[in-house]
Amino acid sequence: MALSKEVYKEFEDVVGEENICDDPAIMPSYYNTEFAAVMLPGNTAEVQALVRLCNKHKLKFRPICTGWSGMFPKGIILMDLRRMNHIIEINEKNMYAVVEPYVISSELQAELMKRGLNFCIKGAGTTCSAMLRGHGHMDQTTSGDDRNHLAIEWVTPEGEIVRTGALGSSDEWFSGDGPGPSLRSILTSAVPPGVTPGVFTKAALKLYHWPGPAKFPVVGHSPKYVLSEIPPNMMARYFSFPSVEKMWQAELKLGEAEICYELMGFNAAMVAANITTCNEEDEKMFNRLNKEVQGPGFFVIIAGNSAEDFTYKKKVLEKIVSDAGGKSLKTVEDPEIEGILMCQCIRISASIRETFRPGGAFNSIPIMGQRDLTIKWAIGAGKAKEPLIKKGYIVDDGGAFFGWGVEQGHLGKTEIFCKFDPRNAEAKAAVEGWQKEQTARAFKEHYFASTMGPQDEIGPALSNYHLWWRKLVRAIDPNGVSPEGGSLV
Amino acid sequence: MGLEQYKGDMEMCCRCSACKFIPMQKVNGSQFSYACPSISRYNFHSYSGGGRVNIGAAMLKNGFNYTDKLLHIVYNCQMDGACGVSCNYAMDMEVLQPIQEFRIKCVQDGHTHPALDKVIAGLRKTGAMVPAQGKRGDWAAGLDLKDATKEKVDVLYHVGCLTSYDKDYQKLARATAKILQKAGVDFGIAGNTETCCGGRAYQMGYEADFLNQAKKNMAMVKKSGAKTLVTGCADGYQAFKVLYDKYDLKGSLKVLHISEYIDKLIRDGTLKPRKKVNLSVTYHDPCRLGRLGESWVHWTGKKVPGDKFVFDPPKEYRRGTKGVYEPPRDVLRSIPGVKLTEMTRIKEYSWCCGAGGGVNDSNPDFNLWTAKKRIEEAISTGAEAIVTACPWCEKNFNEAIKESGSGLKVYDIVELVEKAL
Ligand SMILES: Cc1cc2nc3c(=O)[nH]c(=O)nc-3n(C[C@H](O)[C@H](O)[C@H](O)COP(=O)(O)OP(=O)(O)OC[C@H]3O[C@@H](n4cnc5c(N)ncnc54)[C@H](O)[C@@H]3O)c2cc1C
Ligand code: SF4
Ligand code: SF4
Repeated sequence: MALSKEVYKEFEDVVGEENICDDPAIMPSYYNTEFAAVMLPGNTAEVQALVRLCNKHKLKFRPICTGWSGMFPKGIILMDLRRMNHIIEINEKNMYAVVEPYVISSELQAELMKRGLNFCIKGAGTTCSAMLRGHGHMDQTTSGDDRNHLAIEWVTPEGEIVRTGALGSSDEWFSGDGPGPSLRSILTSAVPPGVTPGVFTKAALKLYHWPGPAKFPVVGHSPKYVLSEIPPNMMARYFSFPSVEKMWQAELKLGEAEICYELMGFNAAMVAANITTCNEEDEKMFNRLNKEVQGPGFFVIIAGNSAEDFTYKKKVLEKIVSDAGGKSLKTVEDPEIEGILMCQCIRISASIRETFRPGGAFNSIPIMGQRDLTIKWAIGAGKAKEPLIKKGYIVDDGGAFFGWGVEQGHLGKTEIFCKFDPRNAEAKAAVEGWQKEQTARAFKEHYFASTMGPQDEIGPALSNYHLWWRKLVRAIDPNGVSPEGGSLV
Repeated sequence: MGLEQYKGDMEMCCRCSACKFIPMQKVNGSQFSYACPSISRYNFHSYSGGGRVNIGAAMLKNGFNYTDKLLHIVYNCQMDGACGVSCNYAMDMEVLQPIQEFRIKCVQDGHTHPALDKVIAGLRKTGAMVPAQGKRGDWAAGLDLKDATKEKVDVLYHVGCLTSYDKDYQKLARATAKILQKAGVDFGIAGNTETCCGGRAYQMGYEADFLNQAKKNMAMVKKSGAKTLVTGCADGYQAFKVLYDKYDLKGSLKVLHISEYIDKLIRDGTLKPRKKVNLSVTYHDPCRLGRLGESWVHWTGKKVPGDKFVFDPPKEYRRGTKGVYEPPRDVLRSIPGVKLTEMTRIKEYSWCCGAGGGVNDSNPDFNLWTAKKRIEEAISTGAEAIVTACPWCEKNFNEAIKESGSGLKVYDIVELVEKAL
């Protein structure tokens, strides 16, 4: 649905001629969706003015940060927040950073590491917006999801600017819940589809201590970067275990001991993808690692605050792993591989190798909950992948799952992928079937899979949250201009 | 086959945005993290490497709709390949090649840019990409150089259009000739007979003009008997070494950039930079000497049916790994008194000077904008001078510095070597 010349002009007056476009030539680059127009606001005031115009003309809109995971209806206005790319503040004393939407995680993390700080980065990778919530490799230390959002500046679907938490009563960003309004349940919308109406224009993110170097000593040329040395008091290892039960025993104990900077439940296929520079190499490495592992496993990074602290953590790690019959993977002990895996799993920079490189697409089912139980569900989902692997529809990753705990505890995320070539229609259909079936099984077995379908089906099982959510959305978005996005964020 | 041959690659794009930034491990903060001048300046996703291949894939499928906006996108790209390097850290797919083919298709379909048409008209008339005032070989007056079109030489020095004709940059040709003379190299030039390498025409999308130039050049090289060709210009280097090879025109000719050649002469003791040049410098990798200077990989094969984007025989991607990065740095390090400090964006993920893809002609403002960003980065190192190895970069930096009023100095590497001899 094209905008009339007059309406287009009103929007153009807000962002300037250079920052609005409805030319059909650009649409294929924006999800192949015919948007009414794409706009590039440069600050909160412009976002507000655009939202108000959307209300005036009853036009639907959605914002994007880097736009990796967008699925949007046709005819809406797309607000690409790319020009809002400033780190507003890094408050070392109170340990928070305030960012605009298009600050990517890599940029913020590099600034933080120089200051001995770090933050939660989504497993998607450091190319994504730092601002949006999610779970990632460092959840053990940096927690995940809405735990890391402090005060937020939010343009409501009607175009009000709301400042939440401490920001509601002061100039400070240190808390998301007060003194001032806490809108946590709306702003994070921790229920499917997991998308906040309106636009976050600035958010404060919680920061954590970083014991590692100010900068990783990365040398070599892309795509084969390596570390010139393993940073002092740091170590990375992959351990495999004789059984899932033994692995879980070790994971729980390590959590209790609070010694791991990162504990990432990679499977062998993900390690192989991470450390190789192309698909062919990946396949060979996977076969090699598959022979080396004795069973399921996880990847661990230890980071000491001093030599003594490091020695202590290493000792505890060795004891716990050996009590559980764990074995360190020799391949990862090679300092070249150890170094780059360590860097990539802190700087979260190889997720694309794990997901899109082999076939061009992947489907996944992430489920949150108690790790030992969700792992049991995932083993079933892995078995269900076997026929697809046999038929050559999906990449052979041994049917394995992956996941990690949050805050050194027993709760966490477990996920399972199918990687495939989306141009192969049969493969695509088979993967979609697998996803539907396994998600339904998760629901039946009382697990929460965020790919679960219609809210009307799962709402009744969750205190009818969907009815309350819709009432809330109607109240804050009376003109219905802020439709749901298609993403889990 | 043109764009069609990259259909599979274009469809692989996962829209991750890696192509907008330098490789993630190299991001060092909120400054100097962007890799692609085009998306950095114009902001719509369509201007990024990913956006371009998305458009290419969609238009191959649904037909080509040449709107003004599409042509603005097409001609505001330096064709510098930074997108491809960042993408290829993780993905196995071509990025710059489909972008290049898209541009070639625009030209073939008659959707050209008037400023570029003018440049190409000049090329067809004078054999040069710059206004041809005077004679091409005038710069060599008094140097007593061999004419490679008449005498056999070991090494043919291909000077390039800008260095030959632009009075401000002829000093680079003279410096190069003096260095080679001092080293006692048996070299010659083609003088007035020299003609454009065609590389810039190719970047602009004029494939037929490029091929025409390539054939003329290779005929001349054959006649000279030279086994080695040395260029002082990164565009010329890429044209002779990579593009001619891509089109099977290079034969066994050995192509070296002057920085590689000087490095070799220093290493084997033929050249000894002895005089002190007290200067703190930072080095700018020209795109076509660095990541795009990587040799062409001849490959034909088919996708293996099944779950993965793999080929039989396996395809080796040119990911920028094997560009010319160390020789110019080694040359700088060998000059007494020169202190080299690196910028954030270097080697395979270097930021373009702005002039690539004909942007200096099609959009001088964007060209200068891009150059100014580089100057800011150079200044941030604290260096007194930015050194490069291509006259187009040097010219651009000089203009950016003039506009921004900075005191940074600009040198080509041969100028510093000449001072040190
Ligand atoms: C390969 C891959 C792996 C992933 N792994 C993980 C993982 O391990 N953990 C995890 O948590 N997530 C994961 N994800 C999902 C991931 O969190 C998101 O893809 C990521 O946050 C996207 O960031 P973005 O900047 O591209 O967001 P966008 O794609 O720009 O936006 C995502 C959604 O948020 C909305 N939105 C964007 N900006 C705003 C704003 N300013 N205000 C309000 N709403 C906004 C958009 O409308 C859209 O619906 C993964 C995704 C991919 C593709
Ligand atoms: S071109 Fe490559 S880096 Fe860019 S969005 Fe596509 S897949 Fe990602
Ligand atoms: S070639 Fe250069 S300017 Fe063009 S899209 Fe790629 S990085 Fe950007």
